[in-house]
Amino acid sequence: MEKLKFERPVINRINAGVPDKFGMSTAIQPISHIDDVAVEDLLSEYGSPLYVISEKSIRNTFREALSAFKTRYPKVQFAWSYKTNYLNAVCNIYHQEGSWAEVVSGFEFEKALANGVPGSKIIFNGPDKSKEDLERAIEHGSLIHIDHFDELYEIMSLAPKTGKKAKVAIRVNMDTGIYPHWDRFGFNYENGEAWTAINKIMPDPNMELIGLHTHIGTYIMTPNAYAIATSKLAALTVRIQLKYNHHLKYLDLGGGFASKNTLKGAYLPGSDTCPTFDDYAEAITGALSNSDIQYDHMPTLFLETGRALIDDAGYLLGSVLANKRLLDGRRSLIIDIGVNNLFTSFWYEHHIVPSKIKQRDTEDTTIYGPLCMNIDIIRAAIQFPVLEKGDHVVIKRIGAYNMTQWMQFITYRPKVVLIDLEGKAHVIRENENHESMNALDKMPNHLKEIQL
Amino acid sequence: MKSVTHAFVERRSRVNELLDIILNSYSQIFFSTHRPFALLIMLVTFIDFYTGLFGLISVLTAAVAGIMLGFNRVTMRKGLLGFNSLLAGLGLGIYFSPSVYLLIIVILASLFTFLISVSLQGVIGKYGLPFLSIPFILGLWAFMLATKSFEVLGVSERGIYTLNELYTLGGTNLVKAYEYLNNLTLPDPVRAYFFSLSAILFQYNLLTGIVIAVGLLSFSRIAFSLSLIGFFIAFGFYHLIGAEVTSYDYSFFGFNYILSSIALGGFFLIPSRNAYLWMILVIPFVAILTISLNAVFMQFKIPIYALPFNIVVMLFLYSLKFREKYSYRLSEVYFQHNSPEKNLYIFLNNKERFRYKLFTPIKLPFFGTWKVSQAHDGEHTHKGVYKHAWDFILVNQEGKQFKNEGDYPEEYFCYNKPVIAPEDGVVEEIIDGIDDNVIGQPNLKDNWGNTLIIKHNNEVYSKLSHLKKGSFKVKKGEDVKFGQIVANCGNSGRSPYPHLHFQIQQSPYIGSVTMDYPLSNYIVHEKDAFQLKTHSRPEKEQLVSNIETSDLLVSALSFIPGQILEFKTEADSIVTWEVKVNEYNQSYLQCKNTDAKAYFENDQNLFYFTYYEGKKKSELFYFFQALFKLQKGYYQNLEITDQYPLYLTYPKAILWFHDFISPFLLLIRSQYSVQYKKIDDAITPSQIQLTSGLTNYFLKKKINEKSFRITIDRDGISDINITDDNRQIKLIR
Repeated sequence: MEKLKFERPVINRINAGVPDKFGMSTAIQPISHIDDVAVEDLLSEYGSPLYVISEKSIRNTFREALSAFKTRYPKVQFAWSYKTNYLNAVCNIYHQEGSWAEVVSGFEFEKALANGVPGSKIIFNGPDKSKEDLERAIEHGSLIHIDHFDELYEIMSLAPKTGKKAKVAIRVNMDTGIYPHWDRFGFNYENGEAWTAINKIMPDPNMELIGLHTHIGTYIMTPNAYAIATSKLAALTVRIQLKYNHHLKYLDLGGGFASKNTLKGAYLPGSDTCPTFDDYAEAITGALSNSDIQYDHMPTLFLETGRALIDDAGYLLGSVLANKRLLDGRRSLIIDIGVNNLFTSFWYEHHIVPSKIKQRDTEDTTIYGPLCMNIDIIRAAIQFPVLEKGDHVVIKRIGAYNMTQWMQFITYRPKVVLIDLEGKAHVIRENENHESMNALDKMPNHLKEIQL
Repeated sequence: MKSVTHAFVERRSRVNELLDIILNSYSQIFFSTHRPFALLIMLVTFIDFYTGLFGLISVLTAAVAGIMLGFNRVTMRKGLLGFNSLLAGLGLGIYFSPSVYLLIIVILASLFTFLISVSLQGVIGKYGLPFLSIPFILGLWAFMLATKSFEVLGVSERGIYTLNELYTLGGTNLVKAYEYLNNLTLPDPVRAYFFSLSAILFQYNLLTGIVIAVGLLSFSRIAFSLSLIGFFIAFGFYHLIGAEVTSYDYSFFGFNYILSSIALGGFFLIPSRNAYLWMILVIPFVAILTISLNAVFMQFKIPIYALPFNIVVMLFLYSLKFREKYSYRLSEVYFQHNSPEKNLYIFLNNKERFRYKLFTPIKLPFFGTWKVSQAHDGEHTHKGVYKHAWDFILVNQEGKQFKNEGDYPEEYFCYNKPVIAPEDGVVEEIIDGIDDNVIGQPNLKDNWGNTLIIKHNNEVYSKLSHLKKGSFKVKKGEDVKFGQIVANCGNSGRSPYPHLHFQIQQSPYIGSVTMDYPLSNYIVHEKDAFQLKTHSRPEKEQLVSNIETSDLLVSALSFIPGQILEFKTEADSIVTWEVKVNEYNQSYLQCKNTDAKAYFENDQNLFYFTYYEGKKKSELFYFFQALFKLQKGYYQNLEITDQYPLYLTYPKAILWFHDFISPFLLLIRSQYSVQYKKIDDAITPSQIQLTSGLTNYFLKKKINEKSFRITIDRDGISDINITDDNRQIKLIR
């Protein structure tokens, strides 16, 4: 008979079997495979920690979103929000699915061009567009979403020199009945700033106003906010039609759809409370179809959804470094994933599970990262089974922002692996090493020699 | 300086007009406006110089009278008011010897005939009938009967001295040729045929007959073959009934058969198998009438001339007007092009291209691309008198029409989607208040569920059914425009799952039977391909949408009257076209240099040329061919094909011979096709490229082709590259 595995003793308060209003305490479901590839195999082959992206999940989610809109409105175009995840392989999956590129900086613009996106299919957003960036965007016939008057004036002075007509849209901010009211991007709708901007653009022979854009916020839990935003943009569109007999080509509702992650402080898990693509689509297309825009001139609906498309497709795998008992008696677990790798842990109660489970009992645990910093907390309090050094953990829904906002801090950033539709793993980004980290460093001559 | 040029141009156009009036009066004897033919006929009238002269004088008289009295210039120019006077002049001229008195009589007779022509046009024109040569018969009878008491007129004996006339005209050679021809040993019937032709001009000689026959052949193969057929059927008929007629007698009224045959088989009816067959039955009437009328009129010693031909042709044409059912197989000519070939080819082309022109342009009643789940003659409910209906659903990329398990109406993609008016109209009827069904449990009591009926005109109503309760955006009696949202798709009535039922009917009631009515135009979406359908019926499983127009194409093809289009050719010359509209509200482009005209139609979704007249060397003709038919949406790689009218684009040499059989059989084809090749940007395009081409086929063999590459930018059509055989031509804006 095989020797039984040792189970560590766990002390738990007896819960007399009475479920609270959410039912019995959640049983931990380990994640042992991602798209049928074993977590253990991935970690042993590519090292720990490791980012894993599921191509299948990306494509399925994208198609689900597209279908939600396309079955409601005939002209829909997604543009991949580069800042959410600009790993080239990831971007190209979206481009293969038909997405354009939405960039917010010269760097992202270059990235999109290098990925093979035609300039005319790049949407240039963001408050920071340098003179050179704008020139390049005009040259490439990209859609420039103007953020402020200074940018507007800059384009006015640049466009005649390029000899091309700048294709522009303005970013509009507005009250959509939600808090916080984002008023920092673009021109305000209610106080007439947006209309003023339009009246400056329309007579300019070097600019063509082809659309309107809004970015009402992020992680919007109320689809109705989008309906309000759509109605307001549609009203502007009709007003432009009336005054200038000019038909806008598109309305861009930006991003901001919530993913299934649970925000810190949320009462219920995100997977239960976040609206679905259908909810958002119903709100937006309903408002659009019922607007006063003429049938022959219905604009294309642009969406720059990032988070909701990619979050689910990303996983972060790591290993347990140590177990510790804190002063108050709570258990703490130290893993090799820190906030440098998981920036979003500042916002979310990330869903973290072991790759396999040895015992069902859970204990109130704090999960720390490996950094030598007190803020390096992945989960402050979680019911977690007891793991041992070397055991593996999986963090779900980390596809958005973590691979762009990650920090190189204290240690090297790990590899990123993509699991393709056949279940084959591809490294799509190598881990950093001594050479790559030092590549940009320069040493003045007088500092080259040290003697200790 | 400018006014001098202007005056010159005006004078030139007046001279041209007078020439048309005169020459066409000659060719109109054979219903033609073919100038060479007219000149030939004119020439042979001068075989007897004075006859020719009096003929010309009478045409001139009619022309001057017509212009001075201010009759319709178009009718005059076609020679329609002059040819009867010409015939009267010729008849009198050959019968009497020339004198000043005859001149007066001829002028009077010409005027008299002219007045009869105008009056007859007024009287029988309103029945839609041609007056043919009745005016000349009446005029000539009146004068012939009267002249018997005019002492001063001497009966001509010139018939005997034809040779003298010929000698003065063409010297010994002509006389020799004339002699040779007259002595030619031709079979009797053939001689009679030629003599009959010459008798149309009151002559009796082989030369005239042959010249006219050649002229007829060169003008129209169909008319020529008809003349032979008509003549020989009558000839055969005479032999059949054993009538004793000499060749001389026969030629004296043989032209009746020839003219009847040409008129019915080629001019007033579209040349076709049926027209030919009817002609074979009708010619014997002419033969019988000839004999019987002759018997009557001989009493008065006046010839019957072309009376039998007139009676029979009018009789037949008038009877046809009472048909209750129009038939393409025996169709009248509604617009006379004065050429059997042109009439035929335009008819064949129009039949294919414009047979639905008067139909109400009903389109699809929804936004976006939907799938036909049940089409006409469907397997579920579209049966019997309700078979001409469609059911539409929305599907996602995987082809599924619902998400999850599809247990609730809300899970169906089409549910609650906007339904639009398929064409302008008035809301005739609304039924609302019926609840949506549980999936799989149709409501058999309220069969049609919530329904909307739109009246488009007195005979065309469209009905949209199974709509969502309370979703109606319009009220009974309200005007609706195409594209306006009228309600939302639902699951009410006999509907097991959400779908949109759409039918067209002739009466305004719920429960009216369906009508087989084509949809004006729509796009069929296939995997990686698009197809334009015009006046067709969506079929089961097809993914269909309305045409979504591209602003670039719409603005490039919006030709506004008064607009000037200018293109530079490679030779750096400039061609200028003006957009114009005529009194019949037809739009056309007119080339300033060559006066050529290209007529076009332009609606919401389609642009197409209908007709071209003028010089084929004009660049406008290339333009006409290159943009023969376009739809105004950009769909990658979409191809549209169409057929050009053969007489415009098919190589003359082959067409000439093919004309003989064209009424029965078409072995040739002149095909147009256009491909939507390239767009630089789908949302904000600045350039679109189309390629189009003309390919002429004989059976399946390519005869020749032309290709065109058209570039369209924000300012319209920027350039057209033409490859005609090996020639490259460029038109640049």
